[in-house]
Amino acid sequence: MNLLIPDSWLREFLKTKATPKQMKEYLSLCGPSVEHIHVVNGEPVYDIEITTNRPDAMSVVGVAREAAAILPRFGIQAKLIGDPYHSNASKQGSTLRSKKLAITTDSKLNPRFTAMVFEHVKVSPSPAWLVRKLEQTGIRSINTVVDITNYLMRTYGQPAHVFDYDTIRTKNGIPTMILRASKKGETITTLDGKTHTLPGDDIVIEDGGGRIIDLCGIMGGENSRVRNTTTNVILFLQTYDPTHIRRTSMALSHRTEAAGLFEKGLDSELVLPVFVKGKELMRELTAAKPASRLYDIYPKRYKPYTVWCSRQKIDAYLGIKLDNREIRTILERLGFAVKRSKTEVTVTVPSFRQDVTIDVDSIEEIARMFGYHNIGAKLPEGELSQASSPPELAWEEEVKNRLRDWGFTETYTYSMISEKLMDAYALNKQKAYNITNPLSEEWVYMRPSLLPSMLATIEQNLHVRPSLKLFELAITYAYQEGDLPKETPVLIIGMTGQAFFELKGIAQVLFDLFGIPFPKSENAPEAGYYDPNRSLVLGDYGTVGELAGRSITVLELDFAKLVRNAKRGKSYRPIPKYPPVVEDLSFIVPAGTHIGPMMDAMRAVSTLIHTITLLDMYENNRTFHITYLDPKRNLTNENIVPIREKIVTLMEEAFGATVRALG
Amino acid sequence: MVEKDSDDHTPAEEPIATPNFIGLLLEVEQDAMAAIEASEKPIDQLRIELLGGKSELARLTKQIRRVPEQDRAQVGTVVNQVKQKIENALSEKTINTPQGATEPIDVTAPGTLPPVGHLHIVTQAVSEITRIFERIGFTRVRHPEVDWDWYAFESLNMPPNHPARDEWETFFIKYPEVSSQNTLEVIQLHTSGKKYKTIVLTPHTSNGQVREMEKGKLPIRMINIAKCYRRQVDVSHTPMFHQFEGLYIDRNVSIMHLKGVFDYFVKQFYGPDREIRLRPFHFQFTEPSFEVDISCGICHGTGYVTKGQKCRLCKEGWLEMAGSGMVHPVVLKNGGVDPAKYSGFAFGWGIERAYMMKSGTKLDDLRLIYSNDVRFSEQF
Repeated sequence: MNLLIPDSWLREFLKTKATPKQMKEYLSLCGPSVEHIHVVNGEPVYDIEITTNRPDAMSVVGVAREAAAILPRFGIQAKLIGDPYHSNASKQGSTLRSKKLAITTDSKLNPRFTAMVFEHVKVSPSPAWLVRKLEQTGIRSINTVVDITNYLMRTYGQPAHVFDYDTIRTKNGIPTMILRASKKGETITTLDGKTHTLPGDDIVIEDGGGRIIDLCGIMGGENSRVRNTTTNVILFLQTYDPTHIRRTSMALSHRTEAAGLFEKGLDSELVLPVFVKGKELMRELTAAKPASRLYDIYPKRYKPYTVWCSRQKIDAYLGIKLDNREIRTILERLGFAVKRSKTEVTVTVPSFRQDVTIDVDSIEEIARMFGYHNIGAKLPEGELSQASSPPELAWEEEVKNRLRDWGFTETYTYSMISEKLMDAYALNKQKAYNITNPLSEEWVYMRPSLLPSMLATIEQNLHVRPSLKLFELAITYAYQEGDLPKETPVLIIGMTGQAFFELKGIAQVLFDLFGIPFPKSENAPEAGYYDPNRSLVLGDYGTVGELAGRSITVLELDFAKLVRNAKRGKSYRPIPKYPPVVEDLSFIVPAGTHIGPMMDAMRAVSTLIHTITLLDMYENNRTFHITYLDPKRNLTNENIVPIREKIVTLMEEAFGATVRALG
Repeated sequence: MVEKDSDDHTPAEEPIATPNFIGLLLEVEQDAMAAIEASEKPIDQLRIELLGGKSELARLTKQIRRVPEQDRAQVGTVVNQVKQKIENALSEKTINTPQGATEPIDVTAPGTLPPVGHLHIVTQAVSEITRIFERIGFTRVRHPEVDWDWYAFESLNMPPNHPARDEWETFFIKYPEVSSQNTLEVIQLHTSGKKYKTIVLTPHTSNGQVREMEKGKLPIRMINIAKCYRRQVDVSHTPMFHQFEGLYIDRNVSIMHLKGVFDYFVKQFYGPDREIRLRPFHFQFTEPSFEVDISCGICHGTGYVTKGQKCRLCKEGWLEMAGSGMVHPVVLKNGGVDPAKYSGFAFGWGIERAYMMKSGTKLDDLRLIYSNDVRFSEQF
């Protein structure tokens, strides 16, 4: 969380000559990051990010304590003043005790409960100094009583609350507060006017009339709030079980600054010193008089514990050997008591640093204060890892590079698609992963196919580029019941125009690249987006074809499968010592004859046929370019003639093709 | 082209000694070479004259039966060599002869372009990053992009409801229903295993940490690059983005090593004049934790472009780039690694941001990267 702290407010608790610029730089290097210095009304205001593990630093005093420990590391004297832990917190309440409270609480939910009643309170606008302070720190001034609670929270990091004493209903004649866990379905209207139905097991306070008057740690109830006419006020400071506050605050989506503090775990030891400050301010600013004793229910006091760390581990983590005295100074400045032997460092943890629980926590304290900028940089030596990269990653790079060089442009579309697209492409919504908390209707289902995204991209770009050649290689998410999706990389290539052969050609070269025989198939894909007359299923690998009714051609390939079946390495075939013999053969074929099987049949005629390529396709004419090769001898016409005759006969018998000419 | 036997059979063949026959062949070769050198005939015509069915070489080849039988194979090889030599000479002549056109051309007219495609900037960045880390022994791996909450959060020391989770605006997947047809194993996963309860779109690549450790091979030097997802969209956020995660686990890994790796990467990726710095931070899955800044390339770490004019790219000389830290002992344990023996560091960077900072592309809206407008893609 980010805090705004005016320079002068900070210096109320920090005696130092450090300039704001030094403060910013040195705090950022060793402690909380000072992200900016804003100038508000001519005064520097620090914008400081405090990490979630450090609720103790989420206040002016907290930052001052860090600064007092850090600045001397840079040769700048600094001292924490007005440390609440060193104040003489007096428990004295009013001797009159004219007002009473009946309190019941639960120490598991509420480790410490403090409250006190004040009378003759004058609720009025706050003095200028308080208004200014609050505004500089981003809080709107309301009135003296409310402002005091916000001032306490910002100064010390301990939220405070006030109730109108006279609204608390009585039991047996005494205004009563019962702190308990809520039941599911109970309701409360908080002082912002919102009514919440509680999920259950939320910390609440019930009064003598059975009404809920506080959603503890989050916001007070409307029914007990302090109004301008209020004269009797309960000042109320507590600590709560953090997980309860967190759960309620999240469940109700009711995030307040107080909740943000309580859910991180606050120090019960701090409650009383802050209460005493609050009492002073009440008297000073509202002319209030204490009218009750100070109720302080705190059955389990904090018992300091120790954390042990091996000396060797400290050195290993830092990569350098630290001086023993330096370690001690660092830790003591942060408030830890230190015991040290040759082999270990043991710290006693102060109540406000209960985030330190294991050895590496104290290593962090030592390391950051020593300064990461004082630690050198060195590449790891030692053994190399035996792990190998999954082969698909290198293949992806290879194929992407080739496609780029063939003139295709790569797209990256979102993995999530809309319900509308799922429906439009008849994709099964029951067998897909959908997002519980989508950000937009556009992004709801993890896509099982890349086709919808590719077509959307083509459509989107048509108005700027009538001719497009695009591709994407991305993961698709196939449904697996009760399990994570099967994540399969898929290659999709899309281009404008009727370009079946262009994309089939790409497919052929890709199969060849992977060393996989091109799938033998004449099948069109089942009903769908492809024009069955102008598309082809590529075995289990995918589809290439023109889309029905559209001038768009698409190639889809299961990339994972290509990788799985890829032939690693290439075997060497000797370069032929004898020259090949080449000839062209032209046939006239009956209409509708498929050429693939013709070529396959030709190839099968003789092992001397080295390659057959299609030279020309014009009306019913098909011209083939045939290369004959014998690795062991020179081929003469005598060798070729019988093969050629066999081809001609076979073409006639099997395909009704008549030979037209020899090239 | 088909090679056909010519009809003029040479009559009654007298035997000829092998050396003589070879001599004849070499003569043919010599004549042919001279002809190729001197002749101004078109290459195709020359080829027919020298290698065609009626050529001297063809005539001679047919007489090979005059050579003693046992030498014929050897002579055959010579025939091929001669043929090859003539072929080569012809090819060479082809290249060295302009094919007709010799008139001046307008050399200022535009050239014929090869096909020009474009790789997406994320692909370009991924390749470059992968190469750099490969050089220091880090292997790129791939882990799920849709994963159990256990790997994305819980195993990283972030139990459900932990406030630290707020840092990640996470997308959740509807709980996969378990039907009666399911295997016993799956049912057990869902009922007994607290581990496999919730599915999330990985909000960071750190889910690869425990997954990589589970492979059981140490030391680990991993780079995991994948898509990540967060519920955020504005000029500097897209709901899908990419991260690269580094993980190094070995004995005696130190902060110094982490700085060494960062320093190496930053100098390779951004240039030798760039510096790094670590600032203390907090992540649940590392301890100590850092944020990593690099010195700004525009103002060279000074925060000012010219006298008194503040640099607009950076925060006073530094750019915030990555989160990192020493792997938390709880995470090591969750990955089956003994924290008493091993330690390590981990880091995660956003690829889009890293690339933008490198190229100095003044991209005012990160969403453009996934707009797939070809007018954008074609610029890279």
